[in-house]
Amino acid sequence: MTSTQLPESLIATLPGRYYTDPGLFALEQATIFERMWFCAARGSDVPRPGSFRTVQVGAESVIVSRNRRGEIRAFLNVCRHRGARICSDGEGSVGRAFQCMYHAWTYDLDGKLVAAPNLTRMPDIDRTEYGLRAVHVREWLGYVWVSLADEPPSFEDTVLQEVVNRLGEVANLDHYEVDTLSVGRRIVYDVRANWKLIVENFMECYHCATIHPELTEVLPEFADGYAAQYYVNHGAAFGADVEGFTVDGSAGLDPIPTLADDQDRKYYAITIKPQVFVNMVPDHVIVHRMYPMAVDRTVVECDWLYLPSVVESGKDVSKSVELFHRVNQQDFEACERCQPAMSSRLYRDGGVLVPSEHHIGAFHEWLRAAIGE
Amino acid sequence: MTQPGTVRVCPLADLPRGEALRVDEVDPPIAVFHTDDGEVFAIDDTCTHQDASLSEGWLEGCAVECPLHASTFDLRTGEVDAPPAKVGVRAHRAEVVDGEIVVTLSTEPPRLPPGVLRGPVGR
Ligand code: FES
Ligand code: FES
Ligand SMILES: [Fe+2]
Repeated sequence: MTSTQLPESLIATLPGRYYTDPGLFALEQATIFERMWFCAARGSDVPRPGSFRTVQVGAESVIVSRNRRGEIRAFLNVCRHRGARICSDGEGSVGRAFQCMYHAWTYDLDGKLVAAPNLTRMPDIDRTEYGLRAVHVREWLGYVWVSLADEPPSFEDTVLQEVVNRLGEVANLDHYEVDTLSVGRRIVYDVRANWKLIVENFMECYHCATIHPELTEVLPEFADGYAAQYYVNHGAAFGADVEGFTVDGSAGLDPIPTLADDQDRKYYAITIKPQVFVNMVPDHVIVHRMYPMAVDRTVVECDWLYLPSVVESGKDVSKSVELFHRVNQQDFEACERCQPAMSSRLYRDGGVLVPSEHHIGAFHEWLRAAIGE
Repeated sequence: MTQPGTVRVCPLADLPRGEALRVDEVDPPIAVFHTDDGEVFAIDDTCTHQDASLSEGWLEGCAVECPLHASTFDLRTGEVDAPPAKVGVRAHRAEVVDGEIVVTLSTEPPRLPPGVLRGPVGR
């Protein structure tokens, strides 16, 4: 093992095959993405009964929708008859029922099988048993979280615990009232990199001074390479002459009024394994969801959330969006630069982490345990 | 049945507003609806286009949309609005007697879709 020979400053990363092996990715899909709580969509993406979005969760396509009473529902996107995809579009509305295009098996908005040609002559077919297969749903931060597990893990012990680990207590996130904010901008990035490269990148700030000149200008302490995620409930302070979290340090939008005093002029970041990143600043919250599509491809959907009054008034959020949009582009370019090298012979045993990155080692331990390696 | 052509369905309290019930003790089966406005209606349960159960349709106001191809039937008259179903269903008289839903069946011949046989075929 190389790790035994490493100088004390360094610890090993995962070996290269963790980023390139489709079999290992399939194992991650089954043991991580199809088992844990997965942030699938913003509730406002499916505004009305029958509105839907389809998202890839692990190896499965999942329909997120609302029933007649407006309650969130999620189903596997598979017809119970002979397996046709129920919804082929990424989003839309089915109206009053999900109807399969093949033989017209028809499911109501709660997934129950309500009609099919000749169904009344087959009274032994249980309408619920042969309904769309529901998956567990939970709404939090205004997002729809799904779990494809038969017995989902405790939301409190997993998702909320990540917030506690980072911020000390969930209340520190509650102050932002994220569920009440409105989407001011959404940008979707198609990143040619393994999802773990993106997580690792988000967790460290060793790269900040090099690739994020605008961000380091606004948050000068990032120049020393220690990320806001290195400490518990540490907010990175805005620079003295910085007015707001914008691309040029100019003033931001209306601040969220419910924040605590120590959250003013600060930037906080949380990683919620396996696929969510949250950034909080006084006037907005940025929520990233990763949708791992293949071992070397990850779609990242990023929302910039503001007070509803800001979005409704049509105020210009572009300087505010531009800052983290650039950060994203800079980060994803770096991840895409790493991906091809993961299959190099030189990376067979992986690379190394410097002290300001050592906390990424805990992510690697978590991953190995999750997939049972 | 209390008297010929009359069906005691269930206590009104057992059928919440906005819901429907298929009664297949009568032949052909009927669908009983309790609308959001609190009215009670009964029509034949089988769509006239194909073999679909109207009690599983989308109930809105005084009409139900067939779950299979969305023709809509007026619960008061049984009339259909638009194809693919071309003829209406029978409407029956539904009333609440002493808290119980009672339906008096229409004496017209039922208008069933092709291929749907009466009686306990395939059950
Ligand atoms: S495959 Fe869906 S109805 Fe046959
Ligand atoms: S079965 Fe009712 S409209 Fe076709
Ligand atoms: Fe970065």
